[in-house]
Amino acid sequence: MSTLTIAQIEEALDVTCDTVIRNEKYFSDLDGLAGDGDFGTSLATGFKVIKADLPGIDKSAIGAMLLKISMICSKHVGGSSGPIWGTGFMRAGMVSKGLTEIGHQQLTDMVGSALEGIMARGGAVRGDKTLLDALIPIHEKLQEMDGSDLGVVLAAVAQVADQAIDETRGLIAHRGRASQVGARSANTPDPGIVGIATILCDWCKHYGVDYTPQAAELNH
Amino acid sequence: MKKFVNDPANFVPEFMTGVLAANAGLLDGNLEFQMVKRKDRPSPNHVSIVQGSGSGHEPAHICAVGPGMLSAACQGPVFAAPPVDACYETIKAVATDAGVLVLVNNYQGDRMAWDMACEMAEAEGIKLKQFIINDDVAVQDSTWTVGRRGVAGNFFVMKACGAAAEAGADLDTVYAVAEKVNNNVRTMGVGLTSCIPPAKGDAIFDIGDDEMEVGVGIHGEPGRSREKIRAADSITQTLFDAVQSDLPYNSGDRVALMINGLGGTPPAELYVVYAKAAQLAADAGLVIARNYVGEYCTALDMVGCSLTMLKLDAELEGLLAAPAECAVRVF
Repeated sequence: MSTLTIAQIEEALDVTCDTVIRNEKYFSDLDGLAGDGDFGTSLATGFKVIKADLPGIDKSAIGAMLLKISMICSKHVGGSSGPIWGTGFMRAGMVSKGLTEIGHQQLTDMVGSALEGIMARGGAVRGDKTLLDALIPIHEKLQEMDGSDLGVVLAAVAQVADQAIDETRGLIAHRGRASQVGARSANTPDPGIVGIATILCDWCKHYGVDYTPQAAELNH
Repeated sequence: MKKFVNDPANFVPEFMTGVLAANAGLLDGNLEFQMVKRKDRPSPNHVSIVQGSGSGHEPAHICAVGPGMLSAACQGPVFAAPPVDACYETIKAVATDAGVLVLVNNYQGDRMAWDMACEMAEAEGIKLKQFIINDDVAVQDSTWTVGRRGVAGNFFVMKACGAAAEAGADLDTVYAVAEKVNNNVRTMGVGLTSCIPPAKGDAIFDIGDDEMEVGVGIHGEPGRSREKIRAADSITQTLFDAVQSDLPYNSGDRVALMINGLGGTPPAELYVVYAKAAQLAADAGLVIARNYVGEYCTALDMVGCSLTMLKLDAELEGLLAAPAECAVRVF
């Protein structure tokens, strides 16, 4: 089975920073359709700090590195996204405490722990039209796979997130600011789900994994 | 507006530098995390008591650190929760085998930050419990909270828990003290003016010269009603009735009565309010076993006050009477 080293995870985080920073305005525009239009800016503000601090932070273990990322998110990502993304990184970091490389099972456990933490922190469940509607099916997909080929795994989870954009488009948001506009949130994409899908599609591009995004928001 | 401010961005670390300089024998701190701690904590045999919230409520929270009070505290920017890393480092700074009690005032931002920090600390094997304070009777939910807000009643939770920890009580016992105080303490405030955060430079809400906000929050959040200002005795009656009827406090009960200034009210005016409150308490058959008149939990420079009553039993009365020391002192 293939493994991921701490250096590979650091590289993926760096690519993630570039994705979030490049999409600052686009993610905020999407959020403006039903929410308060600050998602892109909130996220980018924090990921600019991550991008700058990443070379120098504690890399004694994957868990230590992710806990530091969690702290930065909580401190510098604005609005409710700070604690939500911060909790995700924190929970993933707790599961990878002391490890300098992880296998497929540990990766799956990290995603599972992250989404459990996010559910507890924000009180959202599947179908509330939040980033959980991408993370939960991603976790299920990871559980189905054996992880022998990282490229196959990446393409598969990118597709799950891509599909989640269209599967949730018609739903009414039940959490976050978008929930306050009720039915008006229907027929708009959830920016959190688009964010996850965009990050995974950018990872595919970066690592030369063949995947053609389907949702309009991934081809804008 | 005129204020004693240099660069508003440095306001919090600068006032903390002053607190540390004025209490060099008692306290040390870490300005990177806007944190202050007792020099003699952690101790292996004493539960540590920790709290932290936005700045602008002084003497809460860092000026309440000292023997018989908090073991450590951290503060965020004015009226904003401390960041998670500050909360986490504060817990870590006083972590002990006896355990840490984390006291959190009920505001969404504070709760989220402390929840995360507690999870991280527990994952590191630090023994702790968290307790949420919510003594404000004014509103059930507010712009800042789900449920009631934590306000000046916070002082009694810190004082009683601090005394219990100082005497060597274990974590479960100190937690039970927090629960007992919170269950028996009620507060309501009134604001005659708005307040001015140094970084903003002007008032955070509008209020007419002849108006008052009844049930105002300690960040200027709306309370129960906007009313025409009345004579002091009549305002005091409103506060007393709201507090007294909420628990209720019954004839014969021994109580602690606090008139807390919100930052811009002269002491003499607080005593005008206390005189009426004490008379109302006596009329209701309450025995004022302890009284507190001054500033305990402020809203920057807001003109206003809050009235807090705590129903006492022998245990709480003893804990409130125990000696304590912190950055606020008149002798």
